[in-house]
Amino acid sequence: MRYVLSNLGQGLRRNTSMHLAVILTLFVSLTMVGTALMVRSQAEKTVDQWGSELQITVYLCRADDSNARCLGEVSNEEKRAIGQVLDDSAQVDSWELESKAEAFEKVKELYSDDADRFEGENAVLTEDDMPESIWVTLKSPDQFEAVTSAVAGLDGVSSVRDQRQTINPLLKIMSGMQVGSLAIAVALIIAALLLVANTIRLTAFARRKEIGIMRLVGASGAYIALPFLLEVLVTTLVAVGLAVGTLAGFMFFGVQRVFSQYLGFIPWIGWEDWAFASIVVAILGPVLSLVPTLLLTSKYLKV
Amino acid sequence: MIRFEKVSKSYPGGGAPALDQVSIDVEKGEFVFLVGASGSGKSTALRLVLREARPTSGRVYVAGKEINRLAGWKVPRLRRQIGTVFQDFRLLPNKTVAENVAFALQVTGYSPKEIRSRVPETLEMVGLDGKADRMPDELSGGEQQRVAVARAFVTRPMILVADEPTGNLDPGTTVGIMKLLDRINRTGTTVLMATHDHGIVDQMRKRVVELEHGQVVRDQDRGVYGFQH
Repeated sequence: MRYVLSNLGQGLRRNTSMHLAVILTLFVSLTMVGTALMVRSQAEKTVDQWGSELQITVYLCRADDSNARCLGEVSNEEKRAIGQVLDDSAQVDSWELESKAEAFEKVKELYSDDADRFEGENAVLTEDDMPESIWVTLKSPDQFEAVTSAVAGLDGVSSVRDQRQTINPLLKIMSGMQVGSLAIAVALIIAALLLVANTIRLTAFARRKEIGIMRLVGASGAYIALPFLLEVLVTTLVAVGLAVGTLAGFMFFGVQRVFSQYLGFIPWIGWEDWAFASIVVAILGPVLSLVPTLLLTSKYLKV
Repeated sequence: MIRFEKVSKSYPGGGAPALDQVSIDVEKGEFVFLVGASGSGKSTALRLVLREARPTSGRVYVAGKEINRLAGWKVPRLRRQIGTVFQDFRLLPNKTVAENVAFALQVTGYSPKEIRSRVPETLEMVGLDGKADRMPDELSGGEQQRVAVARAFVTRPMILVADEPTGNLDPGTTVGIMKLLDRINRTGTTVLMATHDHGIVDQMRKRVVELEHGQVVRDQDRGVYGFQH
């Protein structure tokens, strides 16, 4: 064991520049993977709140709706008629009714910082203040106008919201970020693996005498490969640590301090999303580096 | 202890086989010289014993096991039963004499306590007591080879394989190494030594197996290097 540990220290020192290169590329690529995951969570949260680019929202009349066309709370017959129109429309893929309670939950999530404003006698908003709504998913994002005009004039409809102007640019940016960061991650992971392979080859060459003797006196394959695996594991763990830290910094300074302050109309991701991304990164990193290391060591250190 | 049954070995691309239908049987505790010119197949035979190579056909038995069928992960266990000495010593230059010998024990999982008792004992046996803390490049060739022998023998293997162990040594030093190998043989260790040094073979009067073009042309008890008619 002492031999293995002293070898580990030696190996890390011998190829310091190589290991730094591995750490940096792995760190950046894992950060990119984490970013992609967090952006994905963000996109999901945004879609939950505002609907996707394929969705339009039909708000139904409330009891004291500000829209003059509403003559009071929407009736069941009116709802059924609206549903019929949607069912008959060739452009509609599906639709579902969102209840007052669901709408209220969403508002509370958006303002989760001061949730107590929605509790008790003097709540600024109650469930009853929320409108019922129908979330219509279209077959194609371009066909919203026909559906909008067909539904807008029906009794019981207060307004039709088309998300495309508000949310589409955001969703485009987010999916662009996901694709971009994943692409960078893939390129860098490949670079990192090549660096790992190179490091192993160099180390195996530098230690060829020792390895030759170990094989001769009958050291087990695992014993010979262990220092290599540990070396790669240590560099990977450093890279994972840096990536997780960077994501946390992004979360704290970017999302919490800036985005959620100035762009409050969408719910922002929280620490649980960061934790999820971190766990994935912490698993992915070692798997990505150790599996090829195992394959390579068995190739370079053949017994 | 070591048995070759009609063993042939050809290397890909090489014309004539390195070994051709070789059958040898070495008993436990025997001392056997493997002689022959360069390229006669001596080194190949030793590589087969160590399972560094596998025969193209035929069977190789070591300590009762057919080793060409041995699974890869069991090979280390086989090699722990075999000590090896080479012409070029193969010491680690950045380790002291004692560390070089201890290395064989460390990497095969001996306890520090056992290492502390075995290393000085073996160094004394090979005549290197007092030189434990020297570096290999401070030693003469003969002394370096003694370190290598100590490293091969410190695990008390059943078999000692030596490939031209005296090839780099002057005649005086050679005698010392041969005496050492003889002593190791007397402890019950089977010794298989490849050489083309006439002098030592003639002097030792041990069993001689001669290879020529990959075939056994002579297997003689108490033999000498050249034919005697």
